[in-house]
Amino acid sequence: MGEDAGGGAGNAGEAMNRVESLAIEGWSPEFGSPVETERDDVPAAQVDAGAELPPEEWRPLAAAADAPAPARVYFVDGVRRIEARVWMSHGGEPSLGICASYGAGVVRCGRRAEIVSASVRRGFFGKAGVPALVTRAGTFAACPVAADDIQQLVNGLQERMGQLEIEVAETALPSASRPSRGDALMVVDGPLRGSQRIAGATGYVKSHRVQYLSGGPRATVARLGPGQRTPVFLIQTTWTRYSWYLRLTEAEGHPWAGIVRCEAWHDTGLDQVKRIANATAAVLPRFASEPHKDDRAPQNLYPIAGLERELRRRLGDTGVVYRALRRAADDYRPPT
Amino acid sequence: MSEHPTSPPVGRVIGTDPATPLEFWVAVGDDCFLQLDDVVVVERSLPGRAEPIRIYGMVSDLRVRHEGARFDSDVFLIEDGVLPAQVTEAAKVLATRFEPEVFVPPVPGEIVRKAVGEARDQALFFDGMERRIPAGLSRDGEVVHANLEFMDGTRGAHVNISGVSGVATKTSYAVFLLHSLFTSGELGAGAHNTKALIFNVKGEDLLFLDRPNRHLDGEQMARYATLGLPATPFASVELWAPPRRGDPSAAPRTGSRADGVTSFFWTLAEFCRDELLPFLFADAGDERQQYTIVVHNVTARLRREAKPLGDGGVRIGGITCRTFEQLIDVINDRLEDEGDRGEWAGRSIGTGTINAFVRRLYASRRDAEHLVRGDVPNPGKHRIGMQGQVTVVDIAKLSRRAQRFVVGVVLRKTFQEKEETGSREPLLFVVLDELNKYAPREGHSPIKEILLDMAERGRSLGVILIGAQQTASEVERRVIANSSLRVAGRLDSAEAGRPEYAFLPTAHRQRATILKPGTMILSQPELPVPLVLEFPFPAWATRPDEVGDEPGDAEDTRDPFEGLEE
Repeated sequence: MGEDAGGGAGNAGEAMNRVESLAIEGWSPEFGSPVETERDDVPAAQVDAGAELPPEEWRPLAAAADAPAPARVYFVDGVRRIEARVWMSHGGEPSLGICASYGAGVVRCGRRAEIVSASVRRGFFGKAGVPALVTRAGTFAACPVAADDIQQLVNGLQERMGQLEIEVAETALPSASRPSRGDALMVVDGPLRGSQRIAGATGYVKSHRVQYLSGGPRATVARLGPGQRTPVFLIQTTWTRYSWYLRLTEAEGHPWAGIVRCEAWHDTGLDQVKRIANATAAVLPRFASEPHKDDRAPQNLYPIAGLERELRRRLGDTGVVYRALRRAADDYRPPT
Repeated sequence: MSEHPTSPPVGRVIGTDPATPLEFWVAVGDDCFLQLDDVVVVERSLPGRAEPIRIYGMVSDLRVRHEGARFDSDVFLIEDGVLPAQVTEAAKVLATRFEPEVFVPPVPGEIVRKAVGEARDQALFFDGMERRIPAGLSRDGEVVHANLEFMDGTRGAHVNISGVSGVATKTSYAVFLLHSLFTSGELGAGAHNTKALIFNVKGEDLLFLDRPNRHLDGEQMARYATLGLPATPFASVELWAPPRRGDPSAAPRTGSRADGVTSFFWTLAEFCRDELLPFLFADAGDERQQYTIVVHNVTARLRREAKPLGDGGVRIGGITCRTFEQLIDVINDRLEDEGDRGEWAGRSIGTGTINAFVRRLYASRRDAEHLVRGDVPNPGKHRIGMQGQVTVVDIAKLSRRAQRFVVGVVLRKTFQEKEETGSREPLLFVVLDELNKYAPREGHSPIKEILLDMAERGRSLGVILIGAQQTASEVERRVIANSSLRVAGRLDSAEAGRPEYAFLPTAHRQRATILKPGTMILSQPELPVPLVLEFPFPAWATRPDEVGDEPGDAEDTRDPFEGLEE
């Protein structure tokens, strides 16, 4: 429906798409979790545990003490917040949209931890014809998505946020210079996403919803000491990447406490991936958080937690944004 | 009103702490700084007004913190480069003035500038002071003015100075104020006749007011120049000291200052005629005793029966008295005599009460015998005459009872004389430290009555009290309440919390506990915020080794306030 409805029906299509009125409703968790960063849609993952060492030779690995550690670590993260649901009326037909704020930023940890790049945007996600919404809290840019079910809308938001992460990462450290920068490590919070590629980045996965390993290799994970990693293995779903587990801190409680999984792009090359894996094992434990400061300690790293707090702050006060949206919806007039 | 603040912005009003018309917080911009006591200005546009209103204020507190840190220990993470955070600095501003007077708070986001030049004068109400004297320098080297109209009795009078002994430099500041009064030219033609009476209660600090200070260096002289005052000692100083004990010629008892000092005492004739006896019993504790009635009766009898001999001595009932001892022997005889007792002590006074009086009278002999006498020729020379512009009466070496006697008698005499002239001009400034001794909060005493009288009526009579004390909480409330100018030097922290210092905002009270010598906090009636100021090192010597022919003689450059006594 809409734009491809045929040349003669163009006007009628536009009329159909034209949003005549808006109604704002609050967002409640039962409409779906807006914070669902871990995408565990990899049921049919193919895993090759023998990328670095044959499975029977798996053992905890540590970076050599004299191996050069990267002088700078870049952490990339994004946040998003659905501000409201919006009911749009197209020629009497209602359709659902969401207004959301999202942001992304980069912390550079060298001698000091600095937020070197951060950006916040607001979007109005809905079916084709969704208008931009100017409010006192900023303009919610029109972000058309294919369908108006919640999952599609949230996916659209996720995609925009991923795009913004790429942009801020580019600002902080141009991708062209990343492969050559042996002294810099770029860590992206969450798994790598094949469709939205931050070149040269390492994915950082805090939770373990999918069992990638079994048998001896799996047992190796529990035997890791702080700052040790497993050998690199290969995961293949719709796209291919390298991965490895590492332990940030002393295990407390269960054997997988303090374990995180990292990912690297397949085309980085195994030797380079091994270097990156060693680098993560060497530097990431330093950023691990303490339980009394972070509920998700130690996996939620300090710089990422700090960045998230700052980004959420920059998203603005949710009450103020909601009020601005209600007001803008009341004042909304369809374009003539 | 025409000129606009042109100094560069230093920050903006923040919105995370509420701004009120009386105080607000300013975030300090990058590459800028504000320090305590800086004067700032911020504008606000109001609907229906073409011109924005201007809100002036003074920085009373500053804070710097990490934004992005939640725990104290985050500072280690931040310094280790693990946690991102930002350092932010904010200044608390107490509003001093609204121009025009529309009392609205500034709006968050408004640009804040430093107030300089005319804007600063406006902020601190200096522009409206028609007659003002320099009271010191602010931290940034600008002149702080005091409104003379609140000192000379036009709109108010009296100065009260509080501060810990030894570091608060109370007397030094009082003397500096006198210097400023006499030399700033603001007193106009009256300056010449204006007089000051200073009691030197400790050490010898005030016995060299007429001598230049050889430790006065170029920097300090420049500060006098900034203030518009000459860096010179007092031109006309009269020094009085008590006579040496046991010296028949009543030579002055002085320490290191020998020349130009005259001894003072009162003749027995004056003692009887002017009813000075009660001042020997001027302890607040004395007044509660039964024998007070005896004191008053004896005083009245002495006045009536003592016949002056013309040379200072008196004859009472045929007995000639030339010394204090002889006088009290006569009094004792009269009180012991069955026939005279009724008249001298009063009717139906018990012998116990009379004996108590006699005991105390004899106890005072040692304190008073050199101060009340009739055995020195030409006693008129030893009467404190106040011919010079500044009269210093040294009571430092006297006993407490004798100190009270001298202060009480001198104050009463000067106050009475001023009262009799019936004219406010020329003004008389009285500098008295240790007010808590002379006008204590509890109890009554003749001196306290005089000081109260001075505090309450002195404004119209032209007698201005510059009083000082360690602890204002121990001084009669009305004496302090009548002081238009309040000054605090270094305060003891327990003392600073007392209600007597409510004129200081909280931040200033805390600062009063860490003030250095030479720094004072001045509160004036017109200014809602007290001003912290520094006054220059004395241009006059405060101890023998400072005395020099020319200022700047000294080669050593020690801390000028080191060892400075009250």
